[in-house]
Amino acid sequence: MVYFIIKRLLQSVFVMLAVALLAFSLFRFVGDPVSQMTGVETSTEDRARLREELGLNDPFVAQFARFAGDMLQGDFGYSYRTRQPVGEMIADRIPATLELGTVALVISLIVGIPAGVYTALRPRGFLTQSILLTTLVGVSIPTFVIGIMLIFLFGVQLGWLPTFGRGGTVQIGNWTSSLFTVDGWRALILPALTLGVYQLTLTMRLVRAEMMEVLRSDYIRFATARGIPYRRLHFKHALANTMIPVITIIGLQFGGVIAFSIVTESVFQWPGMGLLFLESIRFVDIPVMGVYLVVIAFFFVLVNLLVDMLYIAIDPRLRVKEAA
Amino acid sequence: MTFANLMRSSALAGAAALFATAASAETFRWAVTTDPQTMDPHAVNAAPVLSFLNNVYEGLVRRGRDMSIEPSLATSWAPLEGETGWRFTLREGVTFQDGSAFTAADVLFSYQRASDEASDVRSWFAPVTDVRVVDDFTVDFVTNAPNPLFPDSIANFMILDSDWATANDAGLPARDAENFATRNVNGTGPYTLASRDPGVETRLTPNEGWWGEDRGNVTEAIMTPIGNAATGLAALLSGEIDFIEPVPLQDVAQVEGRDGFKVIEGEETRVIMFGFGHEHDALLYSTDVTDANPFTDPRVRLAAAHAINIDAIDRVVMRGKIDAASQLVPAGISGYSEANADRPAYDPDRAKELLAEAGYPDGFSFGLKCTNDRYINDEALCRAAASMLAAVGLNAELTTVPVRNYWEQLRADDFDMYLLGWSPGTFDHEHPIRFLMHSQDDEKKLGSWNFGNYSNARVDELLPMIQQELDPAKRQTLIDEVVAITQDEVAYVPLYVQPLIWAMKDNIDVTQRADNFFMLRWVAVN
Repeated sequence: MVYFIIKRLLQSVFVMLAVALLAFSLFRFVGDPVSQMTGVETSTEDRARLREELGLNDPFVAQFARFAGDMLQGDFGYSYRTRQPVGEMIADRIPATLELGTVALVISLIVGIPAGVYTALRPRGFLTQSILLTTLVGVSIPTFVIGIMLIFLFGVQLGWLPTFGRGGTVQIGNWTSSLFTVDGWRALILPALTLGVYQLTLTMRLVRAEMMEVLRSDYIRFATARGIPYRRLHFKHALANTMIPVITIIGLQFGGVIAFSIVTESVFQWPGMGLLFLESIRFVDIPVMGVYLVVIAFFFVLVNLLVDMLYIAIDPRLRVKEAA
Repeated sequence: MTFANLMRSSALAGAAALFATAASAETFRWAVTTDPQTMDPHAVNAAPVLSFLNNVYEGLVRRGRDMSIEPSLATSWAPLEGETGWRFTLREGVTFQDGSAFTAADVLFSYQRASDEASDVRSWFAPVTDVRVVDDFTVDFVTNAPNPLFPDSIANFMILDSDWATANDAGLPARDAENFATRNVNGTGPYTLASRDPGVETRLTPNEGWWGEDRGNVTEAIMTPIGNAATGLAALLSGEIDFIEPVPLQDVAQVEGRDGFKVIEGEETRVIMFGFGHEHDALLYSTDVTDANPFTDPRVRLAAAHAINIDAIDRVVMRGKIDAASQLVPAGISGYSEANADRPAYDPDRAKELLAEAGYPDGFSFGLKCTNDRYINDEALCRAAASMLAAVGLNAELTTVPVRNYWEQLRADDFDMYLLGWSPGTFDHEHPIRFLMHSQDDEKKLGSWNFGNYSNARVDELLPMIQQELDPAKRQTLIDEVVAITQDEVAYVPLYVQPLIWAMKDNIDVTQRADNFFMLRWVAVN
């Protein structure tokens, strides 16, 4: 197990370096950072000097080597836009994104799993058909449209919930949390719903498909024949077996939720990493963009690792293979 | 107690009394589209930074509600005798927000800081050869030539406390890292920073020791950056925000139609125009004329001017909110040429004639570069203009580019014709002449935004004369000559003046200044 983890962690470093290289080569087409950093009256000469100071005239390989080298030493550099240390900027924004992503995922699970089970048990019911149709519509509308619709309905028309920001936050060590105030929760509901809609649909359809598959399997039929009560049969035997592949997907989904919260964060002015990334693109803030992508890659790698470890823990057959 | 001390303490008492009458805690929340990148007044010469910091820091002079220059930390200024330059007499009894006194040493220090290589505002001091502290409250700025515009050009030159900056290692602006002044302030302005969370929220509270009087009743101000226009509008309409700008043109009616909200419309000092590749030997994006550049012929440029119907653009693209422009500054700006206030009329037939005279009876195709996220409805404007140009045979191949890529492409001469908006930083006609009409000259730092390198020897000759002429009437004659030449040669096609649209709750009183700067001291919450 320890060997497995070490091997995976080493692999992860290469994955992240590859992401950094890819990101870095793309950034050359994002725009000119110096134009974004200086005012209109800055002379051509001053602009050229700044370009030199930032090392933008160096060959691509040298720039990348410097970036990757600094990263490996834990030096994330300074933002071109705010001049702040990038590591600090990202660290400041991580709590907002993680909380938003987690709540969105929880919403998608506590709604998605029961809905999936229900629609599997009553495949032809009227409610099932309406749920399937509604979620299909929900998933077909772009995220930003859902977000703006929610804002105008619950924020502007009804005035129930705030339309932007995180509301009241509480500082716990380095972590700024909105989970401990009513105000924070009110601000969290709409963006979390917006972000969770797609995940919800996915979870529900996955649970439904798996559950129907399991219900058709032999052991359920035999169990039915033995007269085990339906409730116990469905929720203990069938659901437990349904959840194994579902957990995998949910794990991977969490990485996706974090990475794709960009749109939701922009619509709700949610001060997380996604919003920071968008602002960085606007200002061609290459150091921040680079670090952001590496951090996102790190999340994916980490989640995948956890999922794999969970597999080994759950399924004894994999343990045997690993040992062999 | 000396007389000066007495004056000082009574001035403070007066300010305190004024503050006391307005002290019924009024919170004001406003949204900006771009968070100021830094709190350092000399690090970035960009509108979001300077607009915000004018509430916290002050300069020797400042702009009033009508953009005129008025005393601020200097009470008066006069040309130096016996040499060229200006003497500033400083206001006495002013303190910085941390309580230390403001003196000439702070002016000298701030000048050295702002004119350093690490500063982005050093161009303001290009003509300055020496700064001398005469006594604690007198400073001389010596310039290399007579410079009537110098006081105007330093309206955004903000004064830092020298001891504070030195003690906190912020002696120079930080270019590629941060320093103490990036997130902390110590100015003399009417408001001071209570908290700063970059990109999230910035809070301001009144500077109770401020020397000035003209201040509204805001006792706590919260600035939130909201980049997404729809989110900003929703935040206003839901009542969470008191003020937003800009309002997208298509949403103006929605705000006006609601009870409790109002919209203020005005004109920015920004003129939107088309420019040409004057020195290109051949068109880059043409499918039919690849060995020549028809735009080097003034008749072709005039044809383009005659082809554009500003009234139709106003109606269709800008919802009736614009005024046509005849030159690179709007009417009312100092140096505006009344003598040249006419612009080429919309006349497609004349345009076709001109093209035929120039040897292109069937027109030609070329590339038109535009931004799609810089000016109000810029992409729609270019689409409309492209179809108008096509109607006379000028077939524009339109490419729209986000602004972060745009300047790089223009600097690389990658265009046949392009869109540009220009707001004169000094609010004087000399500014666009210096940046857009003088030939490119890196050494003299002239023509740095003259992408097409329009070049006319007489204009190049007139610019230094305009810069040095002290007599306003003579100066205007010189400017009139430049405008006449550039209109004659159609150096640019000025289109219109960009509108300024602010929206707020109707209990908010603000003053809309033409440079789109937001002055918190002119806000009153009723």
